[in-house]
Amino acid sequence: MTWDWAVFFGTFPLLGSALVTTLELVIASLVLASLIGVILCFGRLIGKGALGWLATAYVSMFRGLPETVLIFWIYYCGPFVFDARLSSFASGVLSLSLVAGAYMGEIFRAGVLAVPRGQYEAADALGLSKVHLVRDVAAPQAFRIMLPAIFSQVTILTKNSSIVSAIGVAELFYRGSTLAGDTFRYFEIFSAVGLVYFALIFPLSLLSQRLERTLAVTR
Amino acid sequence: MRRRAVRRRGEDLFWYTFLPTAIAVGLLWLVASQIKWSFVETLDFAALWKFRLALWQGTLNTLILTGVSVALGTVGGTLLAVGLQLRFRPLSWLIVSYVEIFRNTPLLLQLFWIHFALPQLTGISTTPFQSGFIAVTLQSTAYLADIARAGIQAIPKGQWEAADALGLSARVKWLEIVLPQALKIMIPPLANIAVGYFKASAVLALLSVGELMTVTTRIAQYSFKPIEAFTLAGAIYLVLGAIFSSLTYKLERVFSTSEKRQ
Repeated sequence: MTWDWAVFFGTFPLLGSALVTTLELVIASLVLASLIGVILCFGRLIGKGALGWLATAYVSMFRGLPETVLIFWIYYCGPFVFDARLSSFASGVLSLSLVAGAYMGEIFRAGVLAVPRGQYEAADALGLSKVHLVRDVAAPQAFRIMLPAIFSQVTILTKNSSIVSAIGVAELFYRGSTLAGDTFRYFEIFSAVGLVYFALIFPLSLLSQRLERTLAVTR
Repeated sequence: MRRRAVRRRGEDLFWYTFLPTAIAVGLLWLVASQIKWSFVETLDFAALWKFRLALWQGTLNTLILTGVSVALGTVGGTLLAVGLQLRFRPLSWLIVSYVEIFRNTPLLLQLFWIHFALPQLTGISTTPFQSGFIAVTLQSTAYLADIARAGIQAIPKGQWEAADALGLSARVKWLEIVLPQALKIMIPPLANIAVGYFKASAVLALLSVGELMTVTTRIAQYSFKPIEAFTLAGAIYLVLGAIFSSLTYKLERVFSTSEKRQ
């Protein structure tokens, strides 16, 4: 079978709604993962007590589990074990963000710890209130330090969102494989899907690398 | 003044300890309260005992696939990194595009592309296991090329200049001076990548490649015990992953101390 440009270019319009689903998956997972990450960050920074223990247990558990296992577990086993029935989309978001949350917690913790102690002491010496200390001194610096890692986490999330196709969420990869299966035009269609993923992920990873480089220079 | 300090500490304690703890415990309680204990009691993990050989085979396949692919990826990645150092524009451009394409698309897509699309190009079709093996090898090559590049760049300029000053041939310079030192720098990130692929190889189950997750899915369907099967698979990944990670830390410590001794 030869390469057919018409099939290749004809694939892109068909991927529109799937692209939206992928973006929804990524954004929803990112938001949920950030919320999980904030709580974990507190726990890991305190290090002791119930919260510290819970956060450490959570991070070591969800960093060690493959997303694939978690997606299958939550979608197929979740409804039996828990009194809740999640849609495939919600199961996908939940499993992606449970894993990403563990990484986000570590990113936040590293960012907070990377703000020099002197900054807090200086803010205290200047008599800044707690709100100003966090809002005007600590948060901007910590955020700048975290940003490259957050972007690279988004690229990982985007790549992992393709696994959610296993439970029938009609995102990019799922749509691509059904189209290819219908037409037997695997070469053109998977290449087109790959190009869409590349166009999504590549700018983000470039941005992450560039930010990291500027950070290394300014520090 | 003292009272104010005390009150501030109390506020800190509330905002930074009690509130997050309360939220975390609340969430945990919410999840736990939804567990159907009457169902959980009926779970029968002993039923999986008769699938022990299949599970063992799956685990072995995962380990072989990950180990061999990452080992080949290390060789390939090092070659690509050396290729970049030749400073031949078209070659560098080719290597960089290879690395960026494989790093910026999902492994799952690469797997399906290799299994379904590549045979249309080459005329040779591969078994799912071979496709999985090729996909992990190609992607790990891309990641390791980046790590090898960083490793080569981390070698002090003096080493290059000394090798040139001694009039060593290019072969000796690379094989006996640059690469051994670069490899030592590469080992900690390389171990991380290997552990990462041990986990990520579970994705290959979507093509029934035959590793642990594929076997688990089959057992789940065959025995009608999906919960036991998937939970056990998760536990195997977790325990083996934890063992490998702790080995990685040890390796990292060994190499950082030998570095300091120099």
